[in-house]
Amino acid sequence: MDVPESAGAGVTGARQVQAVPSALKRCWAASAAMVALLLGGAPAPSLDAQALGETHVLIVSGIPGEPRFANAFHEQARGLASALVVRHGVPRERVTLLAADPSRDPSWISARATKPEISKALARIRLAAAPDDRLLLVLIGHGSGSGANARINIPGPDLSAGELARELASFAPRTVAVVNTASASGDFASVLAGDNRIIITATASAQERNETIFGEHFVAAFTGDGADADKDGRLSLLEAYRYAQREVQRVYERDNRLLTEHARLEDDGDGRGTASPRDESGDGALARRFVFGGGVVAALAASDTVLAGLLRQRAALEQRVEALRARKDGMDAATYEHELETLLVKLAEVDQAARARGGKP
Amino acid sequence: MRRRGRTILTAMAGAVLAAPMSACAAQSPDTLRERAATALRTGKYEEARSMYAGLADRADATTADRRGLLTVLTETGAYDDAEQRARAFAGSADSAAMLVPLGDVLLLRGKRAQAEDAFRRGLAAGTPDSLTARLRLALGQRARGERDAADAALDRFIDVFNNAGPRRLTSSELVAVGRAVQALGTRDPQLFKDALTAYDAAIAADSGAVEPRLLIAELFLEKYNAPDARAALEEVLSVNPQHPRALIGMAHVHAADGAPGAMALADRALAVNPNYVRARALRARLLLDLEQYAEATSEAVRALAVDSTAVEALAARAAAAWLAGDTAAYTATVAAARRHAPGDAELFVLVAESAARARMYRQAAEIAGAGIARDSTAWRAYAVRGVNLLRVAEIEDARRHLERAFRGDPYDVWTKNTLDLLDELARARTIRSGRFEFVLDSADAELLPVYLAPLAEEAFDSLAKRYGYRPEGLVRLELFRSTADFSVRTVGLPGFGALGVSFGDVVAMNSPGARGAGSFNWGSVVWHELAHTFTLGLSKHRVPRWLSEGISVFEERRARPGWGADLTPSFLAAFAEGNLAPVSSLNDGFMRPKFPGQIIMSYYQASLVCEMIEQEWGARALPALVAEYASGSNTAEAVRAVLDLELNALDARFNSWVREKFEPRFAAIRGATPLGTGERGGGLGEFGDRLREAEERLRAGDTTAAIGSLERAKELFPEYTDQRSPYRTLAAIYRARGALRDAERELAALTALAEDDYAALVALAKVRLTLRDSAGAMTALDAAMFISPYEPEVHAQLADLAEATGATRVAVRERRAILALDPVDRAAAEYRLARAYLQAGNRDDARRAVLRALERAPSYQQAQELLLELRRTETPGRSR
Repeated sequence: MDVPESAGAGVTGARQVQAVPSALKRCWAASAAMVALLLGGAPAPSLDAQALGETHVLIVSGIPGEPRFANAFHEQARGLASALVVRHGVPRERVTLLAADPSRDPSWISARATKPEISKALARIRLAAAPDDRLLLVLIGHGSGSGANARINIPGPDLSAGELARELASFAPRTVAVVNTASASGDFASVLAGDNRIIITATASAQERNETIFGEHFVAAFTGDGADADKDGRLSLLEAYRYAQREVQRVYERDNRLLTEHARLEDDGDGRGTASPRDESGDGALARRFVFGGGVVAALAASDTVLAGLLRQRAALEQRVEALRARKDGMDAATYEHELETLLVKLAEVDQAARARGGKP
Repeated sequence: MRRRGRTILTAMAGAVLAAPMSACAAQSPDTLRERAATALRTGKYEEARSMYAGLADRADATTADRRGLLTVLTETGAYDDAEQRARAFAGSADSAAMLVPLGDVLLLRGKRAQAEDAFRRGLAAGTPDSLTARLRLALGQRARGERDAADAALDRFIDVFNNAGPRRLTSSELVAVGRAVQALGTRDPQLFKDALTAYDAAIAADSGAVEPRLLIAELFLEKYNAPDARAALEEVLSVNPQHPRALIGMAHVHAADGAPGAMALADRALAVNPNYVRARALRARLLLDLEQYAEATSEAVRALAVDSTAVEALAARAAAAWLAGDTAAYTATVAAARRHAPGDAELFVLVAESAARARMYRQAAEIAGAGIARDSTAWRAYAVRGVNLLRVAEIEDARRHLERAFRGDPYDVWTKNTLDLLDELARARTIRSGRFEFVLDSADAELLPVYLAPLAEEAFDSLAKRYGYRPEGLVRLELFRSTADFSVRTVGLPGFGALGVSFGDVVAMNSPGARGAGSFNWGSVVWHELAHTFTLGLSKHRVPRWLSEGISVFEERRARPGWGADLTPSFLAAFAEGNLAPVSSLNDGFMRPKFPGQIIMSYYQASLVCEMIEQEWGARALPALVAEYASGSNTAEAVRAVLDLELNALDARFNSWVREKFEPRFAAIRGATPLGTGERGGGLGEFGDRLREAEERLRAGDTTAAIGSLERAKELFPEYTDQRSPYRTLAAIYRARGALRDAERELAALTALAEDDYAALVALAKVRLTLRDSAGAMTALDAAMFISPYEPEVHAQLADLAEATGATRVAVRERRAILALDPVDRAAAEYRLARAYLQAGNRDDARRAVLRALERAPSYQQAQELLLELRRTETPGRSR
């Protein structure tokens, strides 16, 4: 689904969450914190601290070079911006899109993607952002250079990783996610890594200079339904990364080509990205908590003690499922299946009851 | 041991080519000598012979004159004359210098004792070729099985080289050193590298030297390194395009590459030297590959008439006898070889290789084993045994032999590649399913069995019923994601272009992911190769190649609409022009094609022969014909016994049958330009005119008129399915016009003929869906899976259709396929599989699938609802 040209904040789309005005989301955030307390401090995945702040998005679409890239880059940038608003509840005014050719879509593209305009956009977001807000910066285009001089090609002088690191320094301690879908983007990880930083690159290093397809699949994670792997109705950056990475591999395998882009995710601050991030520790833990969507259930639970109780049960059951899964390798298969089914049936019943009280995830 | 190519003998060649050659009696002896040498180097043998004869007869003849004459005579096969002259020269004043050339001439005749006597006399007389004489004597000892003494003598060449250094030895001495250390390579493979060093030094000492270049090429060929062998041979042939030994070396390169032309090169060599034993032996080998055993025997006998001790000729004779089932001749030939070279395994290696090329892999392994028993250091015999054990799926024994071969000779490319392949196979997944064992790349291991298992079982049942034969054990099907691995599995080297190969109960083929999805129909390849499994088994591996291939293609066509080769205009044009091989020698069409494309046409031609036999002699005729070979019959005997025809009558019958069957098509392409000379490989007669007319009308925007031309073209040659096919163009026109029923008709007709047109099948499904023909759409998508099974969206579309139409088996299969493609949204895929299982009435699998979905995504609402539904509707009292 796309956003009509006249659409702004609060456009109704396929999912309920996107219709909620942004002010209420603030309210939910506070409520979510309260529900977390109600749950006895249990770290329910849907109520993570990362979900409490607002998300600001800056999308930069660089110089395409060839016409086919012009269309591809534009569609990716525009599609992502639209999906974030329509499908994932990011308020329209907090999504900024800069592109090499603003005339392609003036309703979305606010300025030319030059270095000064990027600086201005970042400064604007920094001023508007609360301390618990976070930034998603997506770079779409062609890359070159290496190390601190690794660059994204934009109109005028290119933007280097080193320059971007300086721009982003003042965002601390906010969480900042940078997704560079360009070729030769790998070195952005080591240059930009740090506390509360998630760096996703389309390539493992600056040496992978062939055109990439990671970007289109990363965007597809937001525009389609297939990336929400845990079916909780929300999309984390980790899920989006995994989706894009897998799809890239699939396309290369299908076409019988050697993989020339090896995407990486870095979020533990050591500057070394990993191809296969994990959920709980090391690279992947922070990206798992950088989530789009959700929050409705918690908001309702604040005023419904029965629902709050169901959510407590749910959180406990989820924890038990997770614990059981961790023990799977050491268990007899039949026993595992039996215990899993028992827990899942209980969980399904609890969720069913919660949904009956309007507590849809 | 791969090397860079050397620069061509530019200086030498330049000098040679600049001077016109002619014998001129009035010229000074020195000028004449120079010209004679040049004529010899450049392969102008008649001139060289004339000039050297004149020089050698002069009173002031030099040793070089006499040697030059002997070289000309031996290179052109005038061995009698050479022997007579050499004997005369050896009795002259410079006998010491002529005794080694005399010995070499005698060796060419197989007169080994006399040759050795000449070498010894040469040594005693202080011949300048003392190292060559010592080398020949040591190699003679080796051949007689006196290994220790021979190796001690050969070992001394290392000292010679080390003590003298390359700069103090002549080119021919360095050649002798190289040849000696090469022989010792079986003991220490590093010496193969030293041999190359010595040959390089020999070339450095004499930039025009031919012998070291030939030895380099032959060494590379021995190691299955055809590219480097080719480079060395090209250096020789660029100067002397007639050099018989270089031509035979190049023929071996062609044979190793599987490229046509080996026989022609052998014939060229024989045109220069009709007594060239290695050329006759190679011809015999190539004739064996064509399953022309009598002709091969004749060639081998001719070679043995020249040199009764030549191992290649003996091997060809033995192989011909063995393949023809002539045990007495085989035993006698082996005994003869044993008398001449008691400790030599080469004959067994060569016979084993011929047996393997005749698809008798187990026997090839046994014969190679006999070679190992003869010589425990015959590394090639270990390799041949290992490779053929691998072909009959005795994997561990194969590995053991190959590793032994590799330890002895790490430069054998085939062995090295095959061991690497075994490492790959160890990483592959082996899945037992019914009567099959599938060996699959991990990327295919979940997906392909979904389709492969039922297809293979269906093929097994169909073929077993038709041919009355059942493989005894499991049939092993290996599908390689890497074309290079498949190629190594088949021929030991990368570059083999086929899609599949059947070794009998072991089939190897490209996985659908090996060549880019959608490039071939892997289902029809499975069927084709399994048909070989049955025809090879029924005939005890004696069915001729043409018949086996013909049946395989014919069975493909029976299996599914569109599978198997179909009629093309170029086939008919080739047939009409008499360019195709007659049935009686149809193997030539596969093994010795006369023009590009003949091999492909031969598959189709052979399938037509099978079609005719079944049509005219009944369904039992083909199985009976195949079975007839099991008793050792040749084709003439089998055809006589089963069809009651002589081969020439079968040829005539087939020709008539084809002309009658395709009479209207011949008319449609009448006037076609000869093959290969017209646009797109040949004109297409009236049919082509209509196609061109349609294209012109389309360009002019007159679509209605274009349709008329295309309909006429279709009528003229309805089997035509290439890119210009009328069906394809008409379908596009009708789709653009929104005439979907017409488009559907054209696409259906196209896909019923073309087995690998994925895009057409997907388009057909789409059109049928629009026409609300779900069953038809499913049929099209189902067929598409055997071209590319890697598109999740197509699987999902087919699964949705299957669920909507109640085709629960297909729905489950497609949902399993989606999971096998490892989707990111695995929870949803498991959930949908659960629903498909439930729809199919399989509650247990549905429950397991939904649990897997929820294990991954515990809050997945739809999956939760399904789980609760399964619980609610569970049969009371049922325990798990």
